Amino acid sequence: MPMMLAIILLVSIFQTYITPETISKFFGYSGFYDVLTGTFVGAIASGHGSISFIIADGLKEQEVSLYALSTFTLAWVTLSFISLPAEASVFGIRFTTYRNILSFLSTILIVYLTIFTIGILS
Amino acid sequence: MKKIEFKGVKFFFIIFIAYSVLLIFDNSNTLISLFKAYHIFGTLIPIFIFIIILTAFINYFLKPKQILKHFGEDSGKKGIFYSIIGGILSHGPMYAWYGMLKDMREHGLKDGLIATFLYSRAVKLPLLPMMIAIFGIEYTIILNIYIIIFSVIQGKIIDKFIKVDK
Repeated sequence: MPMMLAIILLVSIFQTYITPETISKFFGYSGFYDVLTGTFVGAIASGHGSISFIIADGLKEQEVSLYALSTFTLAWVTLSFISLPAEASVFGIRFTTYRNILSFLSTILIVYLTIFTIGILS
Repeated sequence: MKKIEFKGVKFFFIIFIAYSVLLIFDNSNTLISLFKAYHIFGTLIPIFIFIIILTAFINYFLKPKQILKHFGEDSGKKGIFYSIIGGILSHGPMYAWYGMLKDMREHGLKDGLIATFLYSRAVKLPLLPMMIAIFGIEYTIILNIYIIIFSVIQGKIIDKFIKVDK
């Protein structure tokens, strides 16, 4: 329970200080930079998954690449840097490290593979 | 008698200190954060209740031997399948599920299947219409197929790594 409360309080701080406007400022640079930014920002940000889509929709209008938008929305729901302490205390540091590194890499790979597959199919 | 664990007291204390400091320097935003925390907690209560009931059901109906059979070392494809379905159907934030997974892990749930469950949660059924509206149907279908494939790959790799470490 203390861990859960601590995470909720931490999530609230992030939601207060990291607003959609703040997030949009990180994008709009070069291709791979935006992909990495998308993954990191998605992993740090928190909140309901629908928020990530609303932000992505806004970023799309700013012509941010599909790669960056996809990694951002996918990282939002698969990675959670805020809950790392909780994950480590429940499952151990080794499991948490492996899982988060793999999830981080998977997020980028999945997005590239998806867009590559769409390219082939069309 | 089993001793009750209060995990995260230190972490909570650090956050409490952070809030106290923020309250001095940025009073209005700290109060907004506290209000948001109250709101999040309120929305999570039904999910917590659901998870507590689900955990109780699992403990009652699935004995350690059965958990080992369905989700243990020799669970095979069936274990992967259940983990993916469980991940897709699970709601709420990831951390809300840690308690239940920990409980099942103590009864034999494989680490790889935990990873599979946690990553397949990225397939968000209620959000699919929104995803289709923004990214298109073709993209949404392909992305979600890859998410499921990678959730399985992650599980396999984690099981390999954990075995090597042991």
